[in-house]
Amino acid sequence: MIQTVAWMVSLFFMLVITVVFAFVALKSKEKQDYEPIKKKWYKARTFYGVTLVVLFLVITIYTLRELPYNQPVYSAGNDPTIVDVEALQFGWNISDTEFKVGEPIEFHVTSADVTHGFGIYDEELNLIAQTQAMPEYTNKVFITFDKPGTYEILCLEYCGLAHHLMIGTIEVTE
Amino acid sequence: MNTTINNKEITSNNGLIATYLIVGGVIIGIMMIFGILMLLAQGGVLDFSPAAFYQFLTIHGTGMVGAAALAAAGVMWYFLSHYVELSKKVFKINLLLSIIGVVMVIIGVFSFKYASAWTFLYPLPALSGGAWGTTGALLYLIGMLILGVGFLLLYIDTGRAIIKKHGSLGKGLGWDVISGKRAEKDAPSPTVVASTMVTIVNTTALTAGAIVLIMNIINVINPAFTFDPLLAKNLTFAFGHIFANSIIYMGVIVVYEILPRYTNRPWKSNRPFLIAWTMSTAFTLVIYTHHMLMDSVMPKWMLIMGQVLSYANGLPVLVVTAYGALMIVYKSGIKWDMASGLAFMSMFGWVVGVVPAIVDATIVVNHVMHNTKWVPGHFHMYMGLGAAVMLFSFIYYLSKVDSDLKPNGLDKFGFVIYALGMISVSVGFLISGALSTPRRWATHFPEWMAPAVFGAIGGVLAVLALTIFIIHFIRYVQVRGKTGSDMNEKKLA
Repeated sequence: MIQTVAWMVSLFFMLVITVVFAFVALKSKEKQDYEPIKKKWYKARTFYGVTLVVLFLVITIYTLRELPYNQPVYSAGNDPTIVDVEALQFGWNISDTEFKVGEPIEFHVTSADVTHGFGIYDEELNLIAQTQAMPEYTNKVFITFDKPGTYEILCLEYCGLAHHLMIGTIEVTE
Repeated sequence: MNTTINNKEITSNNGLIATYLIVGGVIIGIMMIFGILMLLAQGGVLDFSPAAFYQFLTIHGTGMVGAAALAAAGVMWYFLSHYVELSKKVFKINLLLSIIGVVMVIIGVFSFKYASAWTFLYPLPALSGGAWGTTGALLYLIGMLILGVGFLLLYIDTGRAIIKKHGSLGKGLGWDVISGKRAEKDAPSPTVVASTMVTIVNTTALTAGAIVLIMNIINVINPAFTFDPLLAKNLTFAFGHIFANSIIYMGVIVVYEILPRYTNRPWKSNRPFLIAWTMSTAFTLVIYTHHMLMDSVMPKWMLIMGQVLSYANGLPVLVVTAYGALMIVYKSGIKWDMASGLAFMSMFGWVVGVVPAIVDATIVVNHVMHNTKWVPGHFHMYMGLGAAVMLFSFIYYLSKVDSDLKPNGLDKFGFVIYALGMISVSVGFLISGALSTPRRWATHFPEWMAPAVFGAIGGVLAVLALTIFIIHFIRYVQVRGKTGSDMNEKKLA
């Protein structure tokens, strides 16, 4: 799950940074001339900087390969089910709420009033996809459910006093 | 370039600077209390109406950003006035307009139930679903506009003063040094460079903010006047992202100024430093699109740039600013006290907060973490543990150089509990985000409650610590000038 990976990666790098700052703080009471420190650590910075740039480039290329904005390539005879979603204060109008596992679906999401957020949650309350529900615009979510169950649609953009009550459901069966 | 302004003149401004910091600090403290109340409600410990929750949400976001920006502007003004001639009158006008704006916002929110959140996404100010009316919306929006005008005047003045002294804003960023036309030894000081950056980005941000505020105001008065919601969203985030981030770029000036004094080591603007700040200037202006990664109707290239440039924006701080802070402290024999300790902690908070920020700017991650509590997780880290701590560092620095007041054991206790408190708040949010908990929800499902309670406890520690810091600063204001202290900044090292 992406959230777990994000949390683990963040935790790792945050701990590394904590260790570095703690190390420097511990070493701060010792006294040494600044010139040799500068010479040594400026050299190290070049290596560190280049490593960081390369790391960012690799992650960028890796993570930009598949974007949620891209319409999947559908096989012949396997056209997607188009579902119109209209958000409004404070509920969801969804043209179809029952789907099959493996059925490609395109949610075409808009809003009748203010900006809302269309977030799809699985039965374990994990957010699995989302887009903004904007007035005058239609954003798309491309998804194929691989597990049956009752999925919840939660509003993910603050839209007024009953924002947290904007919960819809969709059913996915085998 | 090393000419400094008369020291006595600077000291005479300290009362005004202290007012900026006290107003900012007290508002931040009150906003923290609203934050704790919201977390307790989400954690199921307190029960109040959603209307109250969203009013607290609105005042918390607006108040935190406004107050921290005000205090950070005080810090920037204090140090920048060492190098260029700033207008005290404009500085006073900004304070006055900020207070007027804050009062209008408070009345709009609490007397007229206005609760659009501080992002006021069009057309929510006018379409509240019956929750608030025109008066509340106008009080809030016009209050924000007045606040923004005050800051805009301030940055026009800092820009004027920098141009007058250095010739242009480009030279304020050291472009002539980068291009080799001027020697590194004649480069503008880090304070001038950072102030130039903030001047450029914030005049842009405040102009974008003023446009979208005025359009919203007209729409509230006359709903027949409508405008493009996607344009409005772009303008709102251009304003909000830049203005909020500028707080840290103003605050870091205190780190540049005081760590060299404490370590007896210079922190000069060399070429990599200047290039890093030019990068920060450019990236800060354009990366707001990472707030819109879930708007697939945006041009795809803008969203991809949102990710790529957000990563790139991490480089100046990770490779230059934080690295510089670590180098200057490493084996320096530094004398740790509240000011230097907080300055060092603030750099840690900034850098550590960059990590979850960069992670969330990744489009495939944002797809499942946007508008979850991961987002407040990362910004509570680099704002709460970074930017705000820079302000506290300055509080202790100013009281040290302008009075005989000495921090005591209670202040050190405050240092420890603040660190523990803000780490708890931030980690609580991040865990919530990893659990997919939506942000800005008045209530939580039971599965999501525990981290909210954990964060609230951390918040209580942070409020206690801030109270200690503010008490110290008020004590400083009381003895300032009466103690006859002639201690100046040079005596610090």
